[in-house]
Amino acid sequence: MSAAAWVIATDEKYLVSLVEAGAALGSPPTVLVVGSPELAQAAVDAGAGQVAWIEPAAGTPAEAYTAAAVSLVSQAGPRLLLSSSAAAARTLLGAAAAALGAAVVTAAIKVELGGDTLVVHCNRLGGSVVEAFESTGPVAAVCQGYDAPPPGTAGASPEPAQAGEPGAFGIVEEQPAPGGGGLTEAERVVGFGRGVKVRADMALIEELAQAMDAAVGCTMPVADDYKWMSQYIGRSGLSIAPKLYLAVGIQGSPQHTEGIRDAKVVAAINSDPEAPIFRRATYGIVADLYEVLPELLTALKN
Amino acid sequence: MKVVALYKWARDPEAANVRAGGVVDWGNAKMVAGDDDHAVLEVAKALAEGGELVGLTLGDGDAAWALARGVEVAYSVPDAPFLADNAATAAIMAAAVKHIGGADVVVVGDAEQHPGVPAALAGLLGWPALLGVTSATAEGERLTAVRRVGDTIQTVWVDAPAVLSVAATGEEAKPPGMMQMLQARKKPVTQVSLAELGVDPKEGVASRGTRLPDVTGAKMLEGSPAQVAADLVAALRSDGVL
Ligand SMILES: Cc1cc2nc3c(=O)[nH]c(=O)nc-3n(C[C@H](O)[C@H](O)[C@H](O)COP(=O)(O)OP(=O)(O)OC[C@H]3O[C@@H](n4cnc5c(N)ncnc54)[C@H](O)[C@@H]3O)c2cc1C
Repeated sequence: MSAAAWVIATDEKYLVSLVEAGAALGSPPTVLVVGSPELAQAAVDAGAGQVAWIEPAAGTPAEAYTAAAVSLVSQAGPRLLLSSSAAAARTLLGAAAAALGAAVVTAAIKVELGGDTLVVHCNRLGGSVVEAFESTGPVAAVCQGYDAPPPGTAGASPEPAQAGEPGAFGIVEEQPAPGGGGLTEAERVVGFGRGVKVRADMALIEELAQAMDAAVGCTMPVADDYKWMSQYIGRSGLSIAPKLYLAVGIQGSPQHTEGIRDAKVVAAINSDPEAPIFRRATYGIVADLYEVLPELLTALKN
Repeated sequence: MKVVALYKWARDPEAANVRAGGVVDWGNAKMVAGDDDHAVLEVAKALAEGGELVGLTLGDGDAAWALARGVEVAYSVPDAPFLADNAATAAIMAAAVKHIGGADVVVVGDAEQHPGVPAALAGLLGWPALLGVTSATAEGERLTAVRRVGDTIQTVWVDAPAVLSVAATGEEAKPPGMMQMLQARKKPVTQVSLAELGVDPKEGVASRGTRLPDVTGAKMLEGSPAQVAADLVAALRSDGVL
């Protein structure tokens, strides 16, 4: 077992933060890339110590290269394996963890090495608490990750690795997911939930959004149960990354907040002081939305 | 095709009480159906058509939940504890799958709070996996599934045996009725102990305990509606986001 960390990457999301986390073991981690040349370059730019690169054949998902990935990781025998929660990366991580006999923890936000003890801090209960896990053995961690700019000091260039015979997988087709009606690109989004009582009150939300130059989004029940909108934000809906998310009458369930993880500033208006949205928010207002929204409109005009 | 559907294998997060200082009191939280478990049963049922659908649960959860949703043969591992190490949970599942004679497909929830379990399970079985699928069909040995990958909807196939993890897209549309539940309660459940499985559930990590996150909660704005509205607009402007 070597004292190093490996990062498994099948897409670019949060890659810089994973490399940063892995560097806690003393040196920049090796990044195992199963993906495009652009992804391999992104790993270099993220500051990887080394980049082991497998380029999947056209029409073949990254998972088809599990055997090759496992063999690379097993040979190196890293102490720590990191991935994002992306399906393909997680699959490779799980297979490599099994080969290493590693423990698997999730929602990791920070790694520390003290002497021979590895400590991994993980979000629990949707981020309500953080739990620290220690181990003197190998650990594989699915990381929470966050958006970070590349450090500016690029690592070594990618080294093509033995891809071997791909497993029995194939991509039948790929379709763009239904567009978010500008939501996914918007710099500002006003999201509303069941705190808005009747459909006619959506006019208030729209007026506010217009005054803020923002797009309008909602929670799943507003779209699925009420059918007031066709798309919603969250784990099973759209993921958005606006500079500002204003959550109006939204409880803040983990399924919803998953979709606003990359929002920079979150402001929340909710009449319940215990609403979980306040744990994710930067600014909170405990009040009746029907009293605050008209005042917000006035304040925006000043 | 023989399909094993895993359900009720994680503690009820609603039972957790966060106390002062971030200590979590789990009371006597039971293993409950996860958010994704109803979708697991849907997918498993579709794949098992004309074959065999086996339900498998960890802990002492009520198997009638699955028997009322199309499971024909039910197994449980009543003494399986909840474990934070996803690999240790997966090791119990893998041993149980082998104990019941293997399967062509194992379907498990892509649990948001335990996303390492399906991946570790596939790793320990040595099977290929497709994670985060929303639906799947089978034709011969070939499993074709649909999942969302970033901004694309991907249709992808893999050959059995394989692990599929299912992400629900919402709540269960039509839960079984009272009659189905009553009938399900009469069906047998085969219990298998950890000892019979030959598993000593050892975790590769030890908890140092829980704490509150570093940044807890929002800056709360207080005052009259006009006051909080003005303060919020001022704060957002000074942050440069408005
Ligand atoms: C498998 C699964 C996947 C899911 N995926 C998603 C998803 O992708 N996206 C999603 O959004 N949800 C999703 N959900 C649903 C999620 O769990 C919540 O039920 C949902 O997000 C709650 O929506 P809400 O906040 O609008 O409603 P509620 O939970 O009803 O909350 C309404 C809030 O409004 C507040 N309120 C009421 N009146 C006022 C007032 N006058 N002024 C101010 N505040 C007020 C209340 O205090 C409350 O907090 C999913 C659920 C499951 C099971």
